[in-house]
Amino acid sequence: MNISNWTAPDPFVTTPDMLIRLVVGLLALAAFVGANATILVYVERKVAGFIQRRPGPFEVGPQGILQTIADAAKLIGKQLVTPRGSDGFLFWLAPIVGFLPVFVMFLPIPWGESTYVVQSDVGVLLILAFAGFGVLSLCLAGWASASKWGLIGAARAVAQSVGYEIPLLLAVLAVCFSHGSMDLMAIVKEQGGWPWQWNVATQPLAFFIYFVCALAETNRAPFDLPEAESELTAGFHTEYSGMGFGLFFLAEYANMIVVCSMATALFLGGFQGPAAPGPWWFLLKVYGLLLVMMWMRWTYPRVRFDQLLNLNWKWLLPLATLNLLATAVALKL
Amino acid sequence: MMENAAKALFAFYCLAIAVGAIGAVRAENLVRALVGLILALFGVAGMYLLLDTPLLALMQLLIYAGAVVVLVFFAIMLTRTSDGFDEARPRPMRAYLFALLAAAVPGLILAWTVTRHPVPSEAKPAAVGVALLGKGLLENYVLAFELISVVLLVAMSGAVVLAFRHKGGGK
Repeated sequence: MNISNWTAPDPFVTTPDMLIRLVVGLLALAAFVGANATILVYVERKVAGFIQRRPGPFEVGPQGILQTIADAAKLIGKQLVTPRGSDGFLFWLAPIVGFLPVFVMFLPIPWGESTYVVQSDVGVLLILAFAGFGVLSLCLAGWASASKWGLIGAARAVAQSVGYEIPLLLAVLAVCFSHGSMDLMAIVKEQGGWPWQWNVATQPLAFFIYFVCALAETNRAPFDLPEAESELTAGFHTEYSGMGFGLFFLAEYANMIVVCSMATALFLGGFQGPAAPGPWWFLLKVYGLLLVMMWMRWTYPRVRFDQLLNLNWKWLLPLATLNLLATAVALKL
Repeated sequence: MMENAAKALFAFYCLAIAVGAIGAVRAENLVRALVGLILALFGVAGMYLLLDTPLLALMQLLIYAGAVVVLVFFAIMLTRTSDGFDEARPRPMRAYLFALLAAAVPGLILAWTVTRHPVPSEAKPAAVGVALLGKGLLENYVLAFELISVVLLVAMSGAVVLAFRHKGGGK
């Protein structure tokens, strides 16, 4: 008797594997981004509390672990207000433009040997290309708000991200040069399990430049000039209420994970680790880097705008160029 | 299934390009025009993806949608043109006719050339690896590749000269 007749016809038999992988991957990523932002906000506030010698969120749930869930519910429940005089269409387009590319940026990240959504030989480029939309959404938000704080925040965001994107690209290129590939999976696989086999050992300067630029690109303190609350109220998202602000917030935390994942894959050996390589090593390194980001946020004061630009154009850019040249020469020798 | 999907996507990207381009031309303020331009650039990137050239598509997004558009935005914010500026004035019918003519002539010439001398094309686009592309640009076509950078250099020095003239002779 033929058993195969008993089973229902497979509806996915003509669907390419790639499509199924993409849909499942995007769904998983959507859940990951949401859950992760909730956890990271809690961690951030606890870290801030620890550094400033206070308990941080404490009242909602044991040790305050339900605080961010309460905050999220509050955000979702709030009324969406379109300020008078603003460009309504662009005003609401901006948070969407900021949030959607985040999913694409997660696609080529190699979480583990077989845990990935797409493996592409232009994976690095995919992340960098869509990272540019973040600043675009800040510009649209700041401009469409018809508010001087928003506009100044947007102007700052442009000057900052256009500048810091260049050394970031050059630092990433140095690693791509030394591996002859832009495929994150291939770059991870060429690194070994132990820290001295990672790219950070051969490219320490590139790692340093990458990390500083990543802080600036994600608008994290000490480089959070576009939303400097002491001068600009909240910069580009001053006028947003409810989930309009919530989407910017989600995008910021998702962007933090993307830059840390990329740092992990490019410089810290990705899912490779001493004994039992796997996704847990990847996540461990990513969250380690995220903790460093939070630590820096609550340690360093915000830089002035001229300091920010001087640091980029006078130090990081020449250093990154020299590093790239040295890498190219060393590879040819 | 994939073939129909490709056709549907082609139509979708065509629509995106057309809507974006018309929006860019017809918009009454510059930022909205810029958003139209972004949509059109996105559509072009989608076309590149359909042609199985992900590198070109991503470069299109990285350079045009990511960098050039942001710089244009910066320029708009620096000049701070208000609504109801020159762009928003109603134009005479004549202007539309001329614009239509200017669009139709190259369009017709291109359409005529393509239908008269069809380019032999493959049924399915074949992907060219990044390494091969790089080799081509830096070995076979290195002269053309370098000449493009000369053009960019000239444009850049021209911009600097213009900026300095405005600064010096502000009278």
